[in-house]
Amino acid sequence: MGSRYVPRTPNRFAPWQRLVHLVLAMAIASVAAVGVVAPSRAQMDWQQRSGSTINLLLISHPFVDALKPLLPEFTELTGIEVIYEELAEQPGFEKLLADLSSQTGTYDLFMTSPLNNWQYATAGWLEPLDAYLEDEALTDLEAYDLDDFAPGILASGRWTREPMQGVGEGPLWALPINFETYQLAYRPSIMKQLGLEVPETYAELLEIAPNLATEGPNGPIYGLITRFDKYWDLPYLTFGTMLQSYGVEMIDADGSLQICSPESIAATTDFLNLIHTASPEGAAAFTWDQAMQGFASGQYVMSFNEANLFAPVYEDPSQSAIADDVGYAPTPLGPDGERKAGAWVWSMSLNANSQDKEAAWLFLQWLTSKETMIKTHLDGNMNPVRQSAWEDPQVAALVENWGETPGQYREVAEEMAEVAAVRFPPHPELTRMLDRWAEAIQQSYFDNGNVEENLCAAQADIERMLGS
Amino acid sequence: MAAEWGESRGGAGFAPPLPNTSPSGERKFVRSGGLERRARATYLAMLAPALVLLLASLYPFLTGLYTGLTNKKLYLPDSEFIGLGNFQTLAATPLFWTALTNTLVYTALAVLIQIPLGMAIALLLDIPSRLQSFLRTALVLPLLIPPVVAGLMWKTMMQPQSGILNWLLAQVGLPPQLWLTDPATAMISVVLIDSWLFTPLATIILLAGLQSVPDDAIEAARIDGATAWPVFRDIRLPWLVPHIVLVALFRIADSLKAMEIIYATTRGGPLDATRTLHIMAYEEAYRWSNLGTAMAIVFVLWLICYLVSGTLLGLWQRQERSAYA
Repeated sequence: MGSRYVPRTPNRFAPWQRLVHLVLAMAIASVAAVGVVAPSRAQMDWQQRSGSTINLLLISHPFVDALKPLLPEFTELTGIEVIYEELAEQPGFEKLLADLSSQTGTYDLFMTSPLNNWQYATAGWLEPLDAYLEDEALTDLEAYDLDDFAPGILASGRWTREPMQGVGEGPLWALPINFETYQLAYRPSIMKQLGLEVPETYAELLEIAPNLATEGPNGPIYGLITRFDKYWDLPYLTFGTMLQSYGVEMIDADGSLQICSPESIAATTDFLNLIHTASPEGAAAFTWDQAMQGFASGQYVMSFNEANLFAPVYEDPSQSAIADDVGYAPTPLGPDGERKAGAWVWSMSLNANSQDKEAAWLFLQWLTSKETMIKTHLDGNMNPVRQSAWEDPQVAALVENWGETPGQYREVAEEMAEVAAVRFPPHPELTRMLDRWAEAIQQSYFDNGNVEENLCAAQADIERMLGS
Repeated sequence: MAAEWGESRGGAGFAPPLPNTSPSGERKFVRSGGLERRARATYLAMLAPALVLLLASLYPFLTGLYTGLTNKKLYLPDSEFIGLGNFQTLAATPLFWTALTNTLVYTALAVLIQIPLGMAIALLLDIPSRLQSFLRTALVLPLLIPPVVAGLMWKTMMQPQSGILNWLLAQVGLPPQLWLTDPATAMISVVLIDSWLFTPLATIILLAGLQSVPDDAIEAARIDGATAWPVFRDIRLPWLVPHIVLVALFRIADSLKAMEIIYATTRGGPLDATRTLHIMAYEEAYRWSNLGTAMAIVFVLWLICYLVSGTLLGLWQRQERSAYA
């Protein structure tokens, strides 16, 4: 009964000191608790450049149509205002060259590609991106997941800046936005009506070419459409796919030009034959967007060796008249049973003279992140460059319905991706050389002959350009 | 006069001295004085802005000229002076001569279409009628449209498969044309667009000339029994020669430099049919990064424009002087 008096251990600390100890203990405990709850909290702050403005140069493309509605999201996330200019491809690249060469940094970011970057990197107009990726204050590298990019596609943005070699190594000059290779697109109903099978070889295609025409509700339906402008994309991408399937690469393993080789002459002759037979007059002026819209408008039975990333446009009833009547097939096999294809990677680069590189980097990081990329894919930006995007259930479901049969588009895309590569040497003036090659092909179309003379003259000119 | 003035005022000297006159009213030169000093000060004040303008236009010109003497590429920082090397290369390039020919052909066609057509429309607009003011406004509208917009518009209309021009031709039983997509017809198609845009300019200037023809000469001729054609040929046309030369001056100077319409429609194609010197220079610079070559081409174009304009301007000034002699 009664409380026992237990003598307290004398506390040497004064009351205020005991209070401080208490607070410190609580602080340490709470930090430890936070550490357990959120182990690697990124230190990156999206709002760090709030209030800035960045300028973009965009080349008209389904990607840009998918990007525009998302820009307000970026501004909300970062407080950075985005102003963009959108131009068609040829004038766009010319404007870009004029601006980059003036070194005023008018555009902080611009759409480009490895091919164009071979010139821009040589000139020192591009900002290498590795330092930004590694900067923890600017990049949440874990969320960004650099390894998620298809390795070959990401590597195409790297170059050591040595002419004729070093692609895939060295600084990273751009981040990829989409990837394209080439395919045949056709109208299943019309092919059935004409009693024709989708050709598997170029020889078969040439055989059925004269029969590839019919009457449609709005006038004649022509055989096939493909781009044929006097522009480097002809021997580099679409006709380039045909050339490579005939075994022609611009420079062979010994370092000699193959523009005037027998295989090249054969491929060019067959190509011109095809255009003369199955395309309307005026075909030698089609740019890629005209090729895309021409097929989407229902005026052609087949789209020949054109970009597979036009599929979202063909499949969208609001943009095409053939949304429920389009099928895809791999490009034809060459005379030796070979199939090779060109590859194109639309990318975005940072201007070395940009006034606000951090803000521009934040945009680039946001744009090429997993979430934003998937949103653009769902809105028509094809093909994904990230493995996770292909695996995203929404993207997979979207693509599943494209083509004549379920999954046809994806099947063809995967088949073509295996043979697609950039089989050209890196050189700051490669576009000029390819323009010259395209000119020779066009001359042959209008002269109606002498493919060999024109190609050999082009080869001689290109030889001089390489030498200088 | 000064004396009278002074007198009417009582001759007490209240009259202000007229400039450059002595009190007795004779004109004499004043070597120094208020006016001369003011004039000098005005000229000096204008000197600074004039120098700025001169340097602002001369500096790019001289820089461009110097660049034309180097092998400068846009993507390389250094370049070498190669003297007349670019000009020698151009002289040996068939495309350069094609472009030169195309430039001259474009100009000749444009002027040959636009002056007679402008004259015909001006004559029609000179006829008094109730629709006159409406027609004058309507026919001048194409001048207000930017050339690039007009180019895009006409490119759509001239599309061989889906354009409206071929549809219209089909309605009247004529065969469809390839317009801008065939080398044989591309040049005339582009000149047609140019004519649609700029004939109103010729019309305006010639109409102003027509309306300034003195009526009494025409009346006299009419009284003598002259019909419309002799009146036009012998009275109006000679009166209009300075105006025609003026229109030719404007149109030739503009056509030699033609760029926007061609760029918006064919960009020099198909197969170089519409490649003029200006287009060739633009491509050399901004498609293939050869700034040296581009500047050399531009210099040649400048030389042609300068010589042609100089000749025409001299001709016009002589015409003006003789008209008012």
